[in-house]
Amino acid sequence: MYKTDVRGKLIDGEEKSLSQISAEILAPIYAKTPRWWYITMGIALLMFAWGIQSVYITLTQGIGAWGQNSTVAWGWEIINFVWWIGIGHAGTAFSIFLLILRQKWRTAINRAAEAMTVVAVLCAALFPLLHMGRPWLFFWIFPYPNTRGPLWVNFNSPLFWDFVAISAYLLISASFWYFGMVPDFATIRDTTKSKIKKAIYGFFSFGWTGSSKEWLRFEGLAFVLGGIAAVLVVSVHSIVSTDFAVSVEPGWHTTLFPPYFVVGAIFSGFAMVLTLVTLMKKLYNMEDFITSRHVDAVCRVLVFISLIMGTAYITEIFIAWYSGSEYEFYTFFKNRITGDYAFQFWAMFTLNALLPQLFWSKKIRNSIWVVFVISLLINLGMWYERFNIVVTSLSKNYLPASWAAYHPTSVEIGFFVGTLGMFTAGVLLFFRYIPQIAISEVKMVAKFNKQQTSHLKSGNHHDYE
Amino acid sequence: MNKKYLVGVFDSEHTLIDAFEKALEKGVVVEEVYTPYPIHEILHGMKNKTRITYAAFFYGLGAVILLLSGMYYAAVIDWPLHFGGKPFNTFPSFIVVTIVATILTITLLTLFTFSVRAKIYPGKKAEIIDIRATDDKFIILLDQETMNVGKPEITELFQSYGASEVYEKETEKTA
Repeated sequence: MYKTDVRGKLIDGEEKSLSQISAEILAPIYAKTPRWWYITMGIALLMFAWGIQSVYITLTQGIGAWGQNSTVAWGWEIINFVWWIGIGHAGTAFSIFLLILRQKWRTAINRAAEAMTVVAVLCAALFPLLHMGRPWLFFWIFPYPNTRGPLWVNFNSPLFWDFVAISAYLLISASFWYFGMVPDFATIRDTTKSKIKKAIYGFFSFGWTGSSKEWLRFEGLAFVLGGIAAVLVVSVHSIVSTDFAVSVEPGWHTTLFPPYFVVGAIFSGFAMVLTLVTLMKKLYNMEDFITSRHVDAVCRVLVFISLIMGTAYITEIFIAWYSGSEYEFYTFFKNRITGDYAFQFWAMFTLNALLPQLFWSKKIRNSIWVVFVISLLINLGMWYERFNIVVTSLSKNYLPASWAAYHPTSVEIGFFVGTLGMFTAGVLLFFRYIPQIAISEVKMVAKFNKQQTSHLKSGNHHDYE
Repeated sequence: MNKKYLVGVFDSEHTLIDAFEKALEKGVVVEEVYTPYPIHEILHGMKNKTRITYAAFFYGLGAVILLLSGMYYAAVIDWPLHFGGKPFNTFPSFIVVTIVATILTITLLTLFTFSVRAKIYPGKKAEIIDIRATDDKFIILLDQETMNVGKPEITELFQSYGASEVYEKETEKTA
């Protein structure tokens, strides 16, 4: 059960009535769109347009327009794919793991985290799709009876597992997110004065009334989806890591990869959640719901995960020396810690393993702009991590004659910037048109704000949700 | 045909629960309860059961059997491939796809089941008894024909437990 005296109040400010909670969370939907929103949206759409142009070039000229060569056959696209998928891990991790751990503070954050997940996974999915070279034939990866034999897909290939895992992850996180919003859409339908909003949100609220029969089945559904999504959170990024780990490339062929990837994904996802909630807190005055204690809790999680990341980096280096494999040794000691890619390695190590240690200080955890900047830097660090993994291993492997360098072309940069624009635009739409915080869930935990008293029957219950 | 209902409106969760439990004790038949968030005492007291978790289990079981037999068919019967003397049925490595695709199947079928059973689907027109139930009010709905106890008695009971309003409503059959 949530102990008020351990973590402090869940909702700041004067005690709010239930209708006040609805009104304050829905305020951005009813208010006029602020000017900064249009400006940011304009920039995001420009970035997106550059992405579209890059995709057009890729489709018409083929992936020869990218900087890959036969040695470094994976470049920015795989880096960005893994990066986005990693960011996309926070939504479900937040919802499920914090649900299992009965952390009631998640209620203020889970909606934003899940929204971000859906957009990030969509961004991620574009990269392998385009990397296929002939994306219009992508459906060949479905195992269906076909006229080519029938030739089946390779059920033992991690690339196929990846395809199944990501489709499942996208569908589950999107439906988990959407069904969580249905009661909130009904709240908008029933409180708005605008006829257009009533019609639109009414359509999306699926006829929700809040009857006991609906809530009963709703909880059953949340239980089922939550339970199986917990398995998925761990399996998706484990599978992504096997894309690397089942090969024989030095630096990839390691049993550390699955846990290392899963933890790294949750790390970058939580950092992105932190970026978003600090923005929500400041730009939309959600300070009563996203309190400094919420930010504090996420920062503490990040310190912990950062230590695991640092341990993983050092373990890799240690094993490269201890295993006695000269190829492993070369990759880590001559091509990562020192050598052509030393900058990327040390950027990764500093931003992921050292910088988050600043969060040990309460002063830093409470300073919202420092937290915001560190959360962005962690995401940059996680990008460098994927660069390290993908490029350094491939560029100099067993045969010196085939060593090569890799530089991204402007098409690749444009493609990546395009997905950044797509993500920003998606998040802005979320801020504007969807309740940023799960209203019904906040109402449910609002009673824990008061001192627990024995007459409050429902206060004794912790087997909620 | 229109039906006559008695509607009790409460301002907070615990007045609702107290009134609800007292009413059940007196043998009142409650038609439905509308709340802004799930309340376990109510879900328990309404004695509805959901079997959606059992359904999900059997969807999963079916999916596992179908997926494993499908892969066995593809890899052993329909198109066996030689990979350096490995067996055609590479069962342990089929597990990964089985787990993930099972999760996918469970999700889709459970969502569909939920939509059908709870009658929640896009564009459905909500049958609203009291529009405040999704915001800040807790509503008990009684069917005047089947509620089992007299109207004045129930009204008094609700008011003594802190109902802010008790009113009658005539509407088509709902819920």
